[in-house]
Amino acid sequence: MLESVSWVEKNFNETPDAIFIFRDDQLLVSNHAAQALQADYALSTAYITKLMNSVVRQQRSNTNDCFNCAALDMAKTAIPFTLPVKDGHSLSFFLVYSELDPAQNVYSLTLKSNDLMQRVDQLAQQRKLVQYVNRAHEEERKRLSQDLHDSIAQGVYSSIMGVRHLESAVQDADSAAFERQTKQIESQLYATLQEIKGMALDIRPSVLDSFGLPAALKALAKRLEENTGIDITVVARDTAELKLSEDVQTVLYRIAQEAMTNALKHAQANEINLFLVAHEHEISLEVIDDGTGFDVKQHISFNGHSLGLLNMNERVKSLNGTFQITSEPGSGTTVTATFPIA
Amino acid sequence: MGDEKIAKNIAYHELVRTIHQQEDFDFVGVALQDATSWHKIRWQYAAGNTNQRFRKIILRSGIGIAGLVIRTGEPFAENDLAHHQYAGYMSQPITMIEHLTSAVAVPIFDEDQIVIGVLLAGYRQQQSVTAHSSHVLQEYLQQFQ
Repeated sequence: MLESVSWVEKNFNETPDAIFIFRDDQLLVSNHAAQALQADYALSTAYITKLMNSVVRQQRSNTNDCFNCAALDMAKTAIPFTLPVKDGHSLSFFLVYSELDPAQNVYSLTLKSNDLMQRVDQLAQQRKLVQYVNRAHEEERKRLSQDLHDSIAQGVYSSIMGVRHLESAVQDADSAAFERQTKQIESQLYATLQEIKGMALDIRPSVLDSFGLPAALKALAKRLEENTGIDITVVARDTAELKLSEDVQTVLYRIAQEAMTNALKHAQANEINLFLVAHEHEISLEVIDDGTGFDVKQHISFNGHSLGLLNMNERVKSLNGTFQITSEPGSGTTVTATFPIA
Repeated sequence: MGDEKIAKNIAYHELVRTIHQQEDFDFVGVALQDATSWHKIRWQYAAGNTNQRFRKIILRSGIGIAGLVIRTGEPFAENDLAHHQYAGYMSQPITMIEHLTSAVAVPIFDEDQIVIGVLLAGYRQQQSVTAHSSHVLQEYLQQFQ
């Protein structure tokens, strides 16, 4: 019992929020953060009790529109509070009031530090991310639609025209023309078939479902190599017996895809190496390129340009994995994702 | 490799080398259709190339400059590759890996007048290609065939 009291006390003292406990206007207890605020920033307890009492009184007053308002009754009273700092940015807090013992009028005032602000930031970031993902989906559809139109539809159209020519060749009993036409139609249909297979792989690799992640990564690397001419090596070690959940497989595949696309699009890489290695209770994917690299600190911060990275990070995090990017201008980029496995 | 194939090989090498030497293009390349069942089209001969990466590329029919030439059988010229509809590494890899700023491409026909490939030439320093450039290429092809 005594031990647990000391834990509670320790927790009270070391929490980042400044907590004051008052009876009426008298300060009974305060924690370290609160004492630091009083000492370092000349925070006046008399001022915050006055401030809070005035707000609480107003809320309880029956002239207030929201008297008996259910939501307010449930929520603790919280007001924004700014502490001016000499020669610096003023500190922003939320001042939260909680009643501890109404009979003796004992209550606590907590100055919530930036945590709340950070939460608000996180929410904004989340919204941006959702927007980004939606936009990326639309972009992908746009590209697929364009490819369908330019390559598949045109290919089928050319083949139809070819068949018409075939008919006229038959009518003219021109066997040379007939042969030429069939040859042409065949090659057009092959090109179209090839393109359909490529697009199917882009959308969702069926290899992933039937032959697993290493095979899917190899197929992806081969397609990118054929489309871009750059060298891509895939090394998979100890992954033969691996049983990965579908979610983890998909995320690893998409990370490989995005990392390679970035390396080609933004880093002008000449060579990409991809390592998929299974350890005991862990699977790790590493995508290493020799491209231009970038300053990670500048891009990983929330500036709107790095939502692709942020999205990868979030996808990994949601499955309890870790995600890491190491890069420096001029020395390539390494993207690593690791997941625990049973 | 049969004698005929070797002769063809040497002839194409000679063609791209000659064009590269006699004209002022920075890069000249020929892509041809495989004779195998998949009929894939690859870059097989090049002059003025900065690396060997072109050999890995498989052309997408109907997409990019070379793809359009193969699909339509018509010449094609583009002076602003960076902002072309198909700009990007997935659509026109040859111009990306060889850093071309403008390019002109003409179809290569076989004896039955079927498109079997493409002859492409381009610049790296913003020089312009014109209809005349494609005539020049076609003349070389006519002599060649």
